Amino acid sequence: MTDAKKSEVLQGTLDLMILKTLHALGPQHGFGIARRIEQVSHDVLQLNEGTVYTSLLRLLQQGWIAAQWGTSDNNRKAKFYSITARGQKQLALETENWERISGVVGRVLRLEGER
Amino acid sequence: MGDPRISRLRAFVARALGLFRSRKRDSDLDEEVQAHLQLLAGRFAEQGMSREDAAAAARRQFGNTTLLQEDRRELRTLVSVEDFARDLRYALRCLGRSRAFTAVAIATLGLGIGASTAIFSVIDNVLLEPFPYKDAGRMVFPRIQDTARGEEGGRQGYTSNEFLELVEQNHVFDGVTGASEDLVLYKHGEGVEQLYGVHVTPGTFEFFGMPARYGRVMQPADYQPGAPPVFVMRHKTWMERFNGDPGVLNKSFVLNGTARTLIGIMPPRFGWFEADVLIPETPVRGASTGFAGLPATWFLLGRLKPGVSKAQAGADATVIVNHLAKINPQDYPAHFQVAVKKLGDTVVGRLEPTLYTVLAAVGLLLMIGCGNVANLMLARATSREKEFSLRAVLGAGRARLIRLLLVESMVLAIGGGALGVLIAWGGLKSIVAALPQDMIPAESVIELNAPVLVFTLVVSILTALIFGLAPALQAARRDLNDPLRDSGKGMMGGFRTGRMRDTVVVMEVAVSLTLLIGAGLLMRSFVALRELHLGLQADHVFQTRLPLPEDRYKTAAQVRGFFQPLLSRVKALPGVVDATQSTALPPYSFQGSKIEISGKAHQDEWHTLLQQVSEGYFRVLRIPFKAGRAFSETEINDSRRVAVVNEAFASAYLLGEDPIGRRVKLPQLETVADPVRDPWFEIVGVVGNVTNQGLQAPIEPEVWVPSTVTGSGAQVLMVRSQQNPMALMNDVRQAVWATDTGVPLAFPSALEDRISQSLYAGPRFAFLLMAIFGCLGLILVTVGVYSVLAYATARKTQEIGIRIALGAEHADVLRLVIRAGLRLVTAGVAVGLFVSLPLGRLIAADLSPGVKAHDPLTLAGTTLLLLVTGTLACWIPARRAARVDPMVALRYE
Repeated sequence: MTDAKKSEVLQGTLDLMILKTLHALGPQHGFGIARRIEQVSHDVLQLNEGTVYTSLLRLLQQGWIAAQWGTSDNNRKAKFYSITARGQKQLALETENWERISGVVGRVLRLEGER
Repeated sequence: MGDPRISRLRAFVARALGLFRSRKRDSDLDEEVQAHLQLLAGRFAEQGMSREDAAAAARRQFGNTTLLQEDRRELRTLVSVEDFARDLRYALRCLGRSRAFTAVAIATLGLGIGASTAIFSVIDNVLLEPFPYKDAGRMVFPRIQDTARGEEGGRQGYTSNEFLELVEQNHVFDGVTGASEDLVLYKHGEGVEQLYGVHVTPGTFEFFGMPARYGRVMQPADYQPGAPPVFVMRHKTWMERFNGDPGVLNKSFVLNGTARTLIGIMPPRFGWFEADVLIPETPVRGASTGFAGLPATWFLLGRLKPGVSKAQAGADATVIVNHLAKINPQDYPAHFQVAVKKLGDTVVGRLEPTLYTVLAAVGLLLMIGCGNVANLMLARATSREKEFSLRAVLGAGRARLIRLLLVESMVLAIGGGALGVLIAWGGLKSIVAALPQDMIPAESVIELNAPVLVFTLVVSILTALIFGLAPALQAARRDLNDPLRDSGKGMMGGFRTGRMRDTVVVMEVAVSLTLLIGAGLLMRSFVALRELHLGLQADHVFQTRLPLPEDRYKTAAQVRGFFQPLLSRVKALPGVVDATQSTALPPYSFQGSKIEISGKAHQDEWHTLLQQVSEGYFRVLRIPFKAGRAFSETEINDSRRVAVVNEAFASAYLLGEDPIGRRVKLPQLETVADPVRDPWFEIVGVVGNVTNQGLQAPIEPEVWVPSTVTGSGAQVLMVRSQQNPMALMNDVRQAVWATDTGVPLAFPSALEDRISQSLYAGPRFAFLLMAIFGCLGLILVTVGVYSVLAYATARKTQEIGIRIALGAEHADVLRLVIRAGLRLVTAGVAVGLFVSLPLGRLIAADLSPGVKAHDPLTLAGTTLLLLVTGTLACWIPARRAARVDPMVALRYE
């Protein structure tokens, strides 16, 4: 397979990506979330789709997302997750955090390269 | 919102809830996962895969579903709780399988925990929370202390002026009550009886927050001028004097000449001032007189406002009293401060160190128990090595193994705790019976209550940690391979754990010796106290104080007019051997005097104790004469100036001279009621020394003079009887009333009981408890030594078998095992002796002066006792070892 070229999802970033997905697309079921991440990442990330569910539970426990049973496009029963107001705030906070950190990491890495 | 603590808390709550919903959630998840997999597989199938390939690819992309389940479970619920429940079930099953071990462990722990619980209940109910009153913890009383004398003593009785100033000016109390004591003469048809009364200020019962058991307490109206006189009675007095007769309620009683209605009887635990009766009084400014013509003084008890410290309250009261001292400096020390003391400080005295000593002893007992159980667990852990290794090999982490063992310990400790509560509940009754009653607050009721049970629980958990941790760590530290290979019966027999068990036994023996030495010292001390010669015979003597009404008994002649006919009446009673009058009761004399002796010049002041007695005094108390003679009846009747001195007097002031015929001047007698002018007395006799400053203080010089020389003082009646002295009480009371119906019997008792109550009860209590705990400790240690040796020899069966096969004699094997055991015991004894010497000093305060903390007899005796018991404990396993059949032992492999 092409696994060797793919990167592991960084610890903790999956939560952020799911929050962002729910924020951007509105209520989604687990499968939809996995598809969206796959699509956006252009097959760069290797995602064990099962871990999406672990992440969803974590977010539920923090009250950042809510879950509800509903019916999917093809008339299947599915659990839909949506971002809560608290989740919105958390997303803003985390996004800012992420940008700051990735900026710093990026700068550090560029420094390394110049030597 | 980003606070990690909050998010952790949220997660915790969600997980805790998850404990109850796990089933539903698991099936929910399954559904979601199945749907996801099907959707994925559908996508792969659209891309042209076969059904099977698509399903496989979907599973691959989804990842490990089992791991996912695990992850989710760990996230969703508190894993530790689920695991704990599993550990608990396992521990119960394990312990249930080895019943003997469980029984011994729980019994051992129960003993230790039970003893601690019982003693802690006493401490809690006597020292910590003795009072049933509302907010008793904030109740304090101010005491004026002379700065020069430090914390010692001080004045806590206030004139009504001072009392009112303190009440009105203070900023620190949110409630105050005043109490003024009064000896109440209760007059009924036959005569008078004395009650101990207290006058209480308005609001007293609201202050204590206690309603009456029957009837009612005082209301504000009862304090109004002109209100009908009323009073309230203590429960104990009601039971003892009126047999709990409800008919006395609302009856009128003549108390100190005033007819008062009994309006209420207090609940049993109300014991304020230990007063029999409580009388309403509103303090007013200006001098008022209390009993015996002395100015009335008020004791002030205040409840601190919440948040006010004792120091703040003391400072506040100091300011107030300083103002008063500017007006009347003569009433106060030159430099003073007001300190506030806790309510409990009024009562609890000498019992406190004793109780803490006993608590420490119980702690030691508990330690021995822990040692035993730890050893049993270590031994068990050794035989469970394989089980643990297997668990470790299968992936159990160190923490997991430790937890498993700790849960086992916890189960044992809780079992021990439960048994301990039962033991304490039973033992408490006997402890209460042995408690010296006058050393504990009247209000305290000793029982197992919530704080005590919490204490038990905490102790149980702590013990579990103490005895469980070492075996648990030991078990978890194991090398995975070794035990699996080992047959479990090897010769080395867990060398390292062996040493640990040995250390525990050595410590146990040391602790036990410390306990025994403590018990031994207290026993020696108690025996020494009992043997201490009072110089008189206190048995078969009835005593009572006879407070004579001041108005009718002022002169010596008036007092003689009462006592002379009374003494003849009493002497004529059946069963009476002799009777006398005196100033004080042995072993104390209170009155003293400066002295001069004819023909003796001296610079320093000479002092003596002084008593006024009638002629029967020395016969009633069986005090022997060393020289001269006793007073004659004529001398008493004629108030002759004669004196008897004790040997201490003779050797202090007339050493090497003949005291008989010498004259001694007692200036004190010039100052009392109906005084003696020019009080020179001729010494006619010398008696043996009689303790006159309590049992333990050196005997002071003392002089006895005829009771008839002054009108004051001698108001104690002592009667020597043929039978039980208390049987005389009613006859004596009738004799007193036949002489004067206005005189009560005050504090009547058998002299011997009085002496032992006040002097022996404390030491006896300490010694009794220490002896019990010492014996229990010895038993536990014996079990401990036995079990360690039994276990060690059982593991060495094979080695012993080889030795016997190679020609070792029966006696050799015996010696081998006993020597191993005794090595531990002697090591423990050495450590114990080393530790006891400094510890002994801690109980030195409880010891009578003749007994030193390093009393050689006690040390030798207890050491011997421990060695003998230790040898016995070794004997049984040794005998068993010697009987090992070499063939059986070797074949066993």
